[in-house]
Amino acid sequence: MQKRQIFQEITKTLYIKNIFTNNKNYNIYAKRWDVMKKILVVDDEPDVRETVKIILEQRGYEVITAVDGDDCLNKLHEENPDLILLDIMMPGTPIGDIVEQIEDTKIAFMSVVRISEARKKGLCKQDNVVDFIQKPFDVIDLVRRVELILNE
Amino acid sequence: MGLDDEGSKLKKSFFSSIDKKLTLLFVIVALVAPTLAIYYFYIISVSVLPESLSSEQSVLLETTAAVVIVLIAVDAGVIGFFVSRSISKPIKELYKATKDVEKGNFDVRTDIITNDEIGELSRAFNRTTAALSRMDEARREIDDAKTEFLSITSHELRNPMTPMKAQLQMLENEYFGKLTKKQKDSLTIIIRNADRLDKIIVDFLEISRIENARLKFVFRATNLKETIHETVEFMKGFAKEKNIKLVVKAEDLPTIEADPDRISQVLRNLVNNAIKFSPKGSEIEIDAEAKKDRILFSVKDCGCGLTPENQINIFEPFYQVEKAASREYGGTGLGLAICRGIVESQKGKIWVESKLGEGSTFYFTVPLQPVRKIEPIKILFSQKNALERKIKEEFETMLGPLGVGEFNELKSKNALWKGDLFEYIDSLTEQYILTDRQGNDFKNRIRCIFDVGKKVIDKEDDTLRDSHGREVIERD
Repeated sequence: MQKRQIFQEITKTLYIKNIFTNNKNYNIYAKRWDVMKKILVVDDEPDVRETVKIILEQRGYEVITAVDGDDCLNKLHEENPDLILLDIMMPGTPIGDIVEQIEDTKIAFMSVVRISEARKKGLCKQDNVVDFIQKPFDVIDLVRRVELILNE
Repeated sequence: MGLDDEGSKLKKSFFSSIDKKLTLLFVIVALVAPTLAIYYFYIISVSVLPESLSSEQSVLLETTAAVVIVLIAVDAGVIGFFVSRSISKPIKELYKATKDVEKGNFDVRTDIITNDEIGELSRAFNRTTAALSRMDEARREIDDAKTEFLSITSHELRNPMTPMKAQLQMLENEYFGKLTKKQKDSLTIIIRNADRLDKIIVDFLEISRIENARLKFVFRATNLKETIHETVEFMKGFAKEKNIKLVVKAEDLPTIEADPDRISQVLRNLVNNAIKFSPKGSEIEIDAEAKKDRILFSVKDCGCGLTPENQINIFEPFYQVEKAASREYGGTGLGLAICRGIVESQKGKIWVESKLGEGSTFYFTVPLQPVRKIEPIKILFSQKNALERKIKEEFETMLGPLGVGEFNELKSKNALWKGDLFEYIDSLTEQYILTDRQGNDFKNRIRCIFDVGKKVIDKEDDTLRDSHGREVIERD
């Protein structure tokens, strides 16, 4: 229990330092990698989309947004992103069908419901589903997870 | 003799009392009528034919008469039995049906097709149970709607928290530029309250899970000592601020099958409360000991203590010991209610013993064998109050004015569940305060109170169902 806490503490301070104070440098790093990774954020709530966009753009990623599942599929073919952040509770086409149609791109779910619910719906079976981000998310945690996924 | 015993007697005995009475009536009538007839016939024949009868003939006549009387009597008995059966059988059936209704099964119907008053009664009974069943259905629907509402609103409330918390966090971390001290202070207050709001929502979700019997327990072999030490180690960080010492006394605990996370959750809650209400530099004792069929955990503090009234109500949602103080101490007011839900989901008990000014000790029990079949427990708008009122009434009728005092004592120990009450009644009969008969009667009344409207959801079943057996979609 304590170890985990210490770990969290360390990562937190590290990331506050890196992301928030030296973010310009990080932008430079990101550009120097010369692979502006593209992230597609899919959420029916504009505020969530906007917030995630700001966070990730600051971090040096290219962020595009989609309002629902169908829009997500359209953008997927047009833009070919490296990662999709997908809300699993959205109106329109059932999310299971959407996920099935995404074959190669990595997906991380974002949701207010717990991961057990997503498992129950059979959403986590595919290999390209790599993470589950619990809403309301921690900004630092979100960035860390996205970074981990994209650096793999 | 208890109601249930009577019921079993009715079921078992071939001759019910109505049968006995009616058969006896038939036999008596059938005996008296031919006896009188034969007697008069005999007298007349004797007076008309005084000498024509030899002694042999008279004996023969008497024997014949006796045989005829016995035959008629037997006949009458048999006929009487069948006639009375036709009356007593529907009555028995009705009786069984009323017992079912008493147990909360409103779907029971009688099928008595007779054209007499009993048939009429049975039809009236069917109409009544149909009405009751409709009412019960409506009640359950309202109940489900309440829990569903709780679950949905909690999710809907949580959605806007996402961008709100993220944006606040970004502001706080000076993502959008430097902040002045005043701006920072203001932001701290906003964030603190946003976190508090989020915690309330999370607690509501937890409650909706408890109420729906959707609380997840992951049972595995658990080293309780380890669990306790880990929890306390975790809580030490919070205790440091007030320089409070956490002392673990638990020794020699068996390894049992349980959910360590849930146990830890309850312990954390209790220790957290203890820290909140303890003076600076004091000590909190965490203990656990193995009893014969359960593990008894306790958390003892040196806080301000609780009045008897507070001891009773402290596990109710949003109950705050002192309204003004609670705001200062923070918290959602749902922590102990959730603890109660978790403990009672495992058929354990949670209670507090305390004296004003002398600190309090919280206890809770965990069974040695995990309870896999989880029953829904009402926490918000619980039926507990109605239940307690009924039990109190029974105490008053059975024990007179003494009953109220006894009731309050049991209530403060949170010992108002069926098992506890039965134990208590047994102790009364053992001390000859109540006779066996009274004791049984008391038990039956208590059983009736608890058995009404009971529903069990089988957790072994993988799909989730509501009280009507329909599948439900889990909102976690």
